[in-house]
Amino acid sequence: MSETATGAQTSDGTAGGAKVTAGVKELREIARTLLAEGDVRVIIGWEAARRGARPVFVTDPAEADRLIFDARCVHNLVTYLNPRRDHVAELGKIGLIVKGCDAKAVAGLLREAQLTREDVVLIGVRCGGVLEENEMPAAVTLTPDNVAPRCYGCDIREPALVDHLVGEPQPEPPRPAQTIDERIAALEDKPLEERWAFWTEQFSKCVRCYACRQVCPLCVCERCVADKTRPQWIEPSPHARGNLSWNITRALHLAGRCVGCGECERFCPVGIPLSLMNRKLQQIVAERYGYTVGDDPEQAAPIGDYRLDDGQEFIK
Amino acid sequence: MSDERFFISESDLRALAADLLGAGTEVIAPVAVDACASPAAMASSECLRPGMEPEHLEYRSLTDASQLDLGRGLPVLSLKGYFLPEHEALCRWKQKGTTIEIEAVPTEFAPRVVLAAKPCDSAALAVVDEVMNWDDKDELWNGRRAATTIINLACPVVDESCFCTAVGAAPDAVKGADGLLTPVKGGYVFEAATGKGGVLLEAHQARLSPVADALTEAADADNANARAHVAANLDIDAGSVRDWINTHFEDPLLASLAIRCNGCGACSSVCPTCHCFDIVDEEEGVGRGTRRRCWDTCQAPTFTLHASGHNPRDDQHSRYRQRINHKFSIYPLRFGEVLCTGCGRCTRVCHAGQDLVEILEAIDIAARRPAEVTP
Repeated sequence: MSETATGAQTSDGTAGGAKVTAGVKELREIARTLLAEGDVRVIIGWEAARRGARPVFVTDPAEADRLIFDARCVHNLVTYLNPRRDHVAELGKIGLIVKGCDAKAVAGLLREAQLTREDVVLIGVRCGGVLEENEMPAAVTLTPDNVAPRCYGCDIREPALVDHLVGEPQPEPPRPAQTIDERIAALEDKPLEERWAFWTEQFSKCVRCYACRQVCPLCVCERCVADKTRPQWIEPSPHARGNLSWNITRALHLAGRCVGCGECERFCPVGIPLSLMNRKLQQIVAERYGYTVGDDPEQAAPIGDYRLDDGQEFIK
Repeated sequence: MSDERFFISESDLRALAADLLGAGTEVIAPVAVDACASPAAMASSECLRPGMEPEHLEYRSLTDASQLDLGRGLPVLSLKGYFLPEHEALCRWKQKGTTIEIEAVPTEFAPRVVLAAKPCDSAALAVVDEVMNWDDKDELWNGRRAATTIINLACPVVDESCFCTAVGAAPDAVKGADGLLTPVKGGYVFEAATGKGGVLLEAHQARLSPVADALTEAADADNANARAHVAANLDIDAGSVRDWINTHFEDPLLASLAIRCNGCGACSSVCPTCHCFDIVDEEEGVGRGTRRRCWDTCQAPTFTLHASGHNPRDDQHSRYRQRINHKFSIYPLRFGEVLCTGCGRCTRVCHAGQDLVEILEAIDIAARRPAEVTP
């Protein structure tokens, strides 16, 4: 592959618009050492490419300088640890770079026995929030207008579970113009008919590409219910019935599991606000079971945990 | 009158759209969808930022001529869905005991007009015409094609991911279309490209006037500029790319393209030329139902999953190679047309960073300048 827009470092110490901070230097050094000493076969991180930051798979220690980290590094790379990714697993032992929020997805895979901790080396980057839109030539300062809304309320400046930690201490991300919770509250203030109209319109856009499922680090099923044909649980046609059925099922299967990384919404080619549904389900799970998804793999999620005092007043 | 060029003012162009709508003709055109209009306002955090007006362009069936957007942006989805809908009924059935009644669907359609189509989107229809008339004639596709008059609007080039000229299309091409509008001072140079386009122009003669030479020259210069601009984005030899792919199936360049790919079908959904579909029977009650076809994608494992459980394309690398192979080698070898018009939508929609411009450039280098390939 030609590297027309990647990896080339200029004299001002930037690579494709990415600042080479002390943290990035440290990151590259760790990656280089892990690869050179054979501790891992591949480092999965971010690089600066033609259209902005994107995932990169570095297998050669000499290419460790392709790695960057700045506010454009939005992607939750934990999706590449998902057991569905045969072609990634084939590369051999993975060294993965994670932000604080990404580590929650690692915890999710560990919690559900989809990953063995020893099979991956985690390099944590201290993070003060990321941009909502990462496809830009250089990172810009985070403001309420450009910060990813999911960063609001994030209490993890330093990722857990990691083997290495790099970067300077980071400030809290700015508060977005409107938080996801505020958007949910505004929607809930509407009468039922308007909410129904809202979601009907949103789901009508769905083309059933399943990008939401494919990018999700926690959609781990070997064969998704949407792909089953005997019986056909979910109609594959992107008509109102099929789309409602798919979108509701996807959200419910992530209830109490979704870590709120927002990749499903970001990858949706037609802009369905999936985060509103995912976050609402987080709220319900918190209210109903006192459970908030975190980065502790030992903390059982309601879906995998039965307690005698579980609320059941909704069973009628 | 197909060689003639006319002038039409913007107001007359809108009036032409209004005339068509008034006569009961469906008019499909780019519409700036206000992503912040109710009830979808909650959808986008963009809507909550003062001063930001998210431009979200879609081809829509106009309800009013004022909706026609002449800003020359790129609609999110291509025109494909108006000829091969995301889903459509192929027939309906009713079964009682051993008696089965089949209700056919109409394959003739009312005349309709597409205004301000992107040249890459109309070109895609002409490319897909080939496979739709290969062995079986696809009556639904052909019916819609026959009923539709398409007028392109010359494109100023959207961004650095456009590469239409690299694959035999052009920002001012009329391939797959019946006419072309090129913006000039005060309006548009309007020309027909087919008999169907000529009929449209003739029917709306009152809206047209002779065009001054200075304006046609300006239009030609603008179009030449756009062609040069897009040509600079990607310079490949499609024939060399086709032949190289055909003879390098196992080459690491082709066999390991998809490491960052998520294997979703977003690229296929937004692609103007991806035309694969699945056929499903949907029961709608006891003893009756609808047989439908809906868009499918070679990027999904189920696309090639055999009943035996064997899957000949069982990893994402092989599925992505299929996408490249089909578009740039298999289809051109069979039909003489590249199954891509360089719209760049697949690249823009892929947040994992699969970049077709970069991939084609790498293949072109391997094909034409192998000495430059980095080991």
